[in-house]
Amino acid sequence: MIATEASQRPALRDRSQRATLCGNIGSREWPLPLPVMTHPLEESVEERTARFERDALVYIDQLYSAAMRMTRNPQDAEDLVQETYAKAFAAFHQFKEGTNLKAWLYRILTNAFINTYRKKQRQPAQDPTEQIEDWQLARAETHSSSGLKSAEALALEHLPDSDVKQALQQIPEDFRLAVYLADVEGFAYKEIAEIMGSPVGTVMSRLHRGRGQLRVLLADYARERGLIRGAELESEVTP
Amino acid sequence: MNGKHHEVDCSVILERVYVFIDDELETADCAEIQQHLDDCGPCLRAVDLERMVKALVARSCRESAPVQLRERVKLSIRHVQVEISEGRHLDLD
Repeated sequence: MIATEASQRPALRDRSQRATLCGNIGSREWPLPLPVMTHPLEESVEERTARFERDALVYIDQLYSAAMRMTRNPQDAEDLVQETYAKAFAAFHQFKEGTNLKAWLYRILTNAFINTYRKKQRQPAQDPTEQIEDWQLARAETHSSSGLKSAEALALEHLPDSDVKQALQQIPEDFRLAVYLADVEGFAYKEIAEIMGSPVGTVMSRLHRGRGQLRVLLADYARERGLIRGAELESEVTP
Repeated sequence: MNGKHHEVDCSVILERVYVFIDDELETADCAEIQQHLDDCGPCLRAVDLERMVKALVARSCRESAPVQLRERVKLSIRHVQVEISEGRHLDLD
């Protein structure tokens, strides 16, 4: 499978909640360049705190899950979530009420991870030899006859959550995040593009390659667990 | 349409499998793909497999934030609140 080129892309509908996230948070620079004061003029800082806690804290589980996928360990994920909320609250007067708060928080989370966190990451970068190359992917694709696809789908369904998390951790970071945002959070491509600060075409390509790699890894796990038999695989490989 | 010939070629379907399962296609394109899938077992199985993987990721990656994190976050919000009240500029970096 090769990344979808922008030129051959089909017409996409816009299923994002808003055409753009509130204001200009497309920049990865802080502070956010937004002088728009959209909060009620008379709102006290205490009222703003209450409003923030009411509206933003409901996403803490989701942000923590995303942070876990990014940092790959609980302590760092907690630090990242805390930093995200502190930054979000400090910039909350710039947030336009009624726009997509969840996407806005994810954007801040992603920025915090990229700008301040990734540099001091405790875990070493993944071994490049562990990454799956696209040629391996292409090979896996040609081997997947339709019968195998059914067997594979049945087998994958029985994989434990830990295998899926581990497989996700093995794919490159940008792919992982795109897949996470699309599959777990259900964000539209346009929203993912804004959260990651990338063009929609890049997001589509990351999803394409990330999911392809993920499938190869998941099939490997399923085979290791005996959910897909080697013989079954061989007999299914037909020209 | 006759025999194994489809109005839309299988390669087009497989190329669009992700935009289709992600619900990003215009309604007309969706209908075209759906029509093909009603008629083509191999493509249907390919789409089902991708849907399966998508559902698997959604199922497996939800976590609950630790209780102490919620408290830590509230505490740090209060810190920022105090800094705002005192008119101190925040270093957002």
